[in-house]
Amino acid sequence: MSDIQLHSVTLSHEEILRYSRHLLIPEVGLEGQLRLKASSVLVIGTGGLGSPVSLYLAAAGVGRIGIVDYDVVDSTNLQRQVVHSTSTLGKRKVESAYARLLDLNPLIQVDTYDEPFTSQNAMRIARDYDVIVDCTDNFPTRYLSNDICVFLGKPNVYGSIYRFDGHASVFFAQQGPCYRCLFPEPPPPNMVPTCAEGGVLGIVPATIGSIQATETLKLLLGLGSSLIGRLLLYNALDLSFDFVELKKNPKCRVCGPEADITEPIDYEGFCGVPAHEPAEGAAGPEWDITPLELKDRLAQDPNLILLDVREPHELRISALPGVLNIPLGQLAARLSELDSAREMVVLCKSGMRSAHALELLLSAGFRRVKHLKGGINAWARQVDNRLPVY
Amino acid sequence: MRYYLEGQSEVELPASSVAELLSALAARYPSLSFHLLDSDGNLRRHFNVFVNGVHIRELNGLTTPLHPQDKVILMASASGGKGEAGYV
Repeated sequence: MSDIQLHSVTLSHEEILRYSRHLLIPEVGLEGQLRLKASSVLVIGTGGLGSPVSLYLAAAGVGRIGIVDYDVVDSTNLQRQVVHSTSTLGKRKVESAYARLLDLNPLIQVDTYDEPFTSQNAMRIARDYDVIVDCTDNFPTRYLSNDICVFLGKPNVYGSIYRFDGHASVFFAQQGPCYRCLFPEPPPPNMVPTCAEGGVLGIVPATIGSIQATETLKLLLGLGSSLIGRLLLYNALDLSFDFVELKKNPKCRVCGPEADITEPIDYEGFCGVPAHEPAEGAAGPEWDITPLELKDRLAQDPNLILLDVREPHELRISALPGVLNIPLGQLAARLSELDSAREMVVLCKSGMRSAHALELLLSAGFRRVKHLKGGINAWARQVDNRLPVY
Repeated sequence: MRYYLEGQSEVELPASSVAELLSALAARYPSLSFHLLDSDGNLRRHFNVFVNGVHIRELNGLTTPLHPQDKVILMASASGGKGEAGYV
């Protein structure tokens, strides 16, 4: 980042002491630390990835860090989102992170954006930062982050996680491919499970997030060879790091020579899912059944088939009695076990896998089928609070 | 992917091209087939295929020939976390 302005930036004695381990590295030194102090980084999301990214950038002395999030801290976050704490449960995430980052390093500036990152505000928010770090957790915001980085000519430090796997890269259209070069289109709605459905080992975002923070510092300092043009594929179980080459896609609609996307678009429409609100089942609300409606249906017809498409280990956490358990991953191969003539309700944890199962069943000709909106967690909240929410 | 491959992160299959490999995978793992291929049998666009670290777009696409010992990486886009307030 050669355009970072270093004039008029100095380090106090307090800063020299705090950053002494950086100053000792010849490749960083005093000038590098001044560059970090003069730099600004926008971290989109303060969740699993945003936690380690923002903590390490703050500790490293990046002079101005922006954090964007619209959510509140809840207890399911704390297994991995280490910028938050038990004491900040229920607080706005940006307030929780702001306090923690300034506690770690009061010598930096933290700007907060307590709002969803949208097509309407993204350019305004991102414009004044040197590097954007994509710590988002949904496709609409991921495409938005990518596109505005292309429009603004900024590097987009990318990370994503699922279970034991993580991806990282630096998408910088001025020097290499962008995210759309790799993924021209999002997956069909509900096709890719989220960590809220499939889970994630809490340390995986720490690994990927610390790589994103490292890549950010390298960009700011102009050091080493970055992940521009390369994608890291990490697997914690195998402890494997695979790299694949990425090149610009000449047909890319946002950074290619014939790009036709030149300003932020409707990303929720593009991805077929809302980024910030719960969705109906992808097949349409007519295929949904609410927990209270299901309770009434079961009272009328105790023989109603309940197809639970979660993994067997999840049924040990909470389950409805008498369910037929076929994990989603096995459903396509086990359709012959189901009677399409009988009425059936499909359920999972919170409604995503069951929506996916519903689509699969509909495409196989099943018609007397609905899926439980909000899953067994919604059932536990609305019908039977003896069951835990997870 | 591991989820649809009966817990395996790697499988070995005989195939002379990428297209043949995908067909063999779909045949061996029927649940994967729905995720991998659309209703017309084409590879879904959120999947990327790399042969020895190079995207098949830079090679010969699905007709890219394969040889014994070639390493093929099949990668889908991942969204990440998303808590209860999200689109799950």
